[in-house]
Amino acid sequence: MAEKDITLTVNGTDHELRVESRKLLVHAIREDLDLTGTHIGCDTGNCGACTVYKDGEAVKSCLLFAVQADGSEITTVEGMEDQPEAGMGNSDLHPIQEGFHEMHGLQCGYCTPGMIMAGKALLEENDDPTEHEIRENISGNLCRCTGYQNIVKSIEYAADVLNDREPPESPVEHEGASMETAPDGGVETDGGCTGPDLTREYPGGDQE
Amino acid sequence: MSTPDDTDDGDEPERLDGGVVDLQDPDESLDLGTSLSDRENITTDQEKYDARKIVTGEARYTADYRDRFPELAEARIVRSDIPHGRVIDIDTSGAEEMDGVHAVITPWDDVVPDTLYSPSGQSYPEPSPWDTRVLREHVRFVGDPIAAVAAEDRDTADRAARKLAVEYEEYDAVFDIWEATRPDAPRLFDDSEVENETTGADYERNLESHFEGELGNPERVFEATGDEQILETEWETPYQSHCVPEPHTSIVYTDEDDRYTVITATQVPYHTRRQLSHVFDVPIRDVRVVKPRVGAGFGSKQEMVIEPIALALHRKAGLPVKLECTRQEEFYAIRNRHPMALQFKTAVDEDGNPRAMDLYVRENSGAYGTHGMTVASNVGTKAMPLYPRVPHMRFAGDVVHTNLPMGAAQRGYGAPQGMFVVEAHLDELARRLGEDPVEYRKRHAVREGDTDRAAAILKDGDRFERTIRSCGIRECIERGADAIGYDDIDQPGAEHLHRGVGMALCAQGSGVAGKELGAAQLKMNEDGSFILQVGGVDVGSGNDTMFTQIAAETLGCEPDDIVVKSSDTDIAPFDYGAYASSTTYISGRAVQKAAADARERLLEWGGRLLEEPAENLATGGGEVYSEETGASVTLEEIGYESIYGDEDREHIMGQGHHATDESPPPFGAQFLTAVVDEETGEYEIEEMVFAADCGVAINPPLVEGQIEGGVHMSYEFATSGTLSFDGEGNPETLGFRQYGMPRPDEQPPIESIIVETHEPTGPFGAKSIGELPTNGVPPALSNAIRDAVGVRLTSLPIEAEDVKAALDEQPD
Repeated sequence: MAEKDITLTVNGTDHELRVESRKLLVHAIREDLDLTGTHIGCDTGNCGACTVYKDGEAVKSCLLFAVQADGSEITTVEGMEDQPEAGMGNSDLHPIQEGFHEMHGLQCGYCTPGMIMAGKALLEENDDPTEHEIRENISGNLCRCTGYQNIVKSIEYAADVLNDREPPESPVEHEGASMETAPDGGVETDGGCTGPDLTREYPGGDQE
Repeated sequence: MSTPDDTDDGDEPERLDGGVVDLQDPDESLDLGTSLSDRENITTDQEKYDARKIVTGEARYTADYRDRFPELAEARIVRSDIPHGRVIDIDTSGAEEMDGVHAVITPWDDVVPDTLYSPSGQSYPEPSPWDTRVLREHVRFVGDPIAAVAAEDRDTADRAARKLAVEYEEYDAVFDIWEATRPDAPRLFDDSEVENETTGADYERNLESHFEGELGNPERVFEATGDEQILETEWETPYQSHCVPEPHTSIVYTDEDDRYTVITATQVPYHTRRQLSHVFDVPIRDVRVVKPRVGAGFGSKQEMVIEPIALALHRKAGLPVKLECTRQEEFYAIRNRHPMALQFKTAVDEDGNPRAMDLYVRENSGAYGTHGMTVASNVGTKAMPLYPRVPHMRFAGDVVHTNLPMGAAQRGYGAPQGMFVVEAHLDELARRLGEDPVEYRKRHAVREGDTDRAAAILKDGDRFERTIRSCGIRECIERGADAIGYDDIDQPGAEHLHRGVGMALCAQGSGVAGKELGAAQLKMNEDGSFILQVGGVDVGSGNDTMFTQIAAETLGCEPDDIVVKSSDTDIAPFDYGAYASSTTYISGRAVQKAAADARERLLEWGGRLLEEPAENLATGGGEVYSEETGASVTLEEIGYESIYGDEDREHIMGQGHHATDESPPPFGAQFLTAVVDEETGEYEIEEMVFAADCGVAINPPLVEGQIEGGVHMSYEFATSGTLSFDGEGNPETLGFRQYGMPRPDEQPPIESIIVETHEPTGPFGAKSIGELPTNGVPPALSNAIRDAVGVRLTSLPIEAEDVKAALDEQPD
């Protein structure tokens, strides 16, 4: 099989690689460069787990041959902490990474790197998107765990940081919670999740 | 109208409390260290244990372990392309002659056992039939594995797989669940092809199982009830794909002690270890199964799917082997939610109170019986307990084989189909009685103190009848109704558009009653931190995090002081695995007990150092302190003293295990609004609210994540997810492109409400949450469309053309 020498600049480092002409970019990233944060979920460009940031846009690295990326500049999830925006929030992470971390924007985490890279491409273009714009822009990335709810909030969190606004503290709403004992013995509150009823005697006494 | 049994279930059903029913935990009382009022690490937003490594890309899933193996062979499975027949011959010569091919295996290969087994990740002996072989000579669906290759790289493996020339003898096939049981239908299994048959099996009729159970005397009630008080309905539900983000992946190698090691994306490491040992006839001690981070499971990984093929290839190739499924295989060849046809019948008394329910399910098990009978039986035993005071119940099922893909465990496990039927039927019933459908169900639904016999309707004896010790279902209804604005639904401006609101109640279990074991061990480090070894399996939902909270709460330290080592069969104590919504309730309780055990030793050592009796002492804030004098000693001081002390030394450890007949149901209420276009049948779900009673939410954001993800899957089941086949059993859904998984811009927003109750048998009052929210959208949508335009949709997914057809049939 024909092989070709290519140069990829990945996360700021130049790599000279000899790759088979049909090798997918995602395999070059994962196997030749050992950057396994970029995942494979479908190899048909439908799920977005392999999304990387290439020459200014989000691309699905399973849809490109490595040789097609010759000479390009690529950022993967492993390079996010070296981006200039890293550290703008409350940690050393990039604000998008911090958003997924703080807003529980992840569960199994398999789609997360791809979502982070899709989010990066969006925020580079529009650093203060609406929820609708976020959902449209990441619509090429699938998540099975979260219902996308906190993924949207994670990207909004990053937009808050990038725009010097105070991001929300947590996905849980605590405000205005009144504590009344509900008919079934639970705790009735106004919204969000509830705290414990500190005065309550639970069945079984204090043994439990 | 008179009925044979006149138990009172009117407007205000009597509560069976006050000494009649004991709501306490029947388990032995444990000194678990902290009272509820002191909880510091429960009901807290603890950072997810693996969050940081996930956002930095450092989390390692199975395929990422490839870099450990310089000579790793890549594998590919060859699958049947006919729905039914026998493989006569496989010419492997073309593949074997290729450079870089390490192994080709067929059903006749010495390294491929022909042992019958069940791939279901269930306890031993599996309640599923042993009807599966590693590679199949007798193929029963398009996608059955018949051969496999391992080669130096993926490309070579792909090309070698395509070079295998397969010769078949073709048999007639059957694809319809009603035709399959007729005497002239082609038979899928000979008697010699199944061991460990399940209840009521009759393979001459392609019947994997028949079951039935009864409470009271439903037949007499139906006979004695007038037709106008009986409602009969029929329902259908389709295949649903798990759409696991990470395809099934395994790496198999032999370690330096000649033991097989399997790194694999699994929900059931211990069951997989036992089954591999059985299939390959090697001692359990010579198999190690390691679960790394897993890209979710949803039931598809409660199954030993590809591990035996990878192991057989490894034996032949003599090299470490990595086998990764493709997305196409995930859709047509791996596992799915079972399709079903269902019938439901109710009788009400003159006041409209339900007196009898009769549910029948006919399940399409597909080509093999993994989880076939157990999923079908959960249709009734999960849904009927919503109304445990209905005195007369019948539930029966037939589990039928066809030449289509296998069903298996999928999040909800029969409950989504059961709730669809029961909750849409009762909504219809209430409307016909002229009652508000939400009020009607609120009145008749389960209450704290109820004795639930419905969950045990298929069991002999009363061992599995359960007392409902916690139930927040009414608060779920009230808060869900408030959130959606149930009493104040506006109509859209345009005359052809109609807005409706629908509600569905949901229930699930917390583990399999009487068939669970979780175990954990804590080892103290000198610095006052602990290593937690626990069998419980985190496939993404956050169980490792929950374990640290439970351990820390009991020990009196911080969750960050707990290092979790879970789900490696060489390191962690036993656990049945992550299924049946068992991990918080069973494995979490095991962790709580292990921590309580370790805490006793902390108090003992604290007592020595503080020179006070242990009973005066408590733990908290990383210390053991005296409640009398206020004197304290840090866990770090105890850590060093207990290990390096001059007088006595001890490694402080704690062990715990949990096994129980209890499986307390979590409850929920799904609300949604939908706008229906009466001209086209098109509809749009605008808003979805799910209120959940999971007992005490140990980590509310993680609970909300479970709700949002479950509602997402439920939304798909209701609106868009299904597999299609041509008339010859050939799959037409081969990827996300054909399958209707909702994308970010298609998924309606989800509001989660957590209703706290306290389950006395659970760890810190917790029940389960993982599966519960998967159950509500199909009935809530059917109910909302009924509310909007007056037609009843009974088949999933509900598409615009179905609504249009129902509207066209509607009498003017």
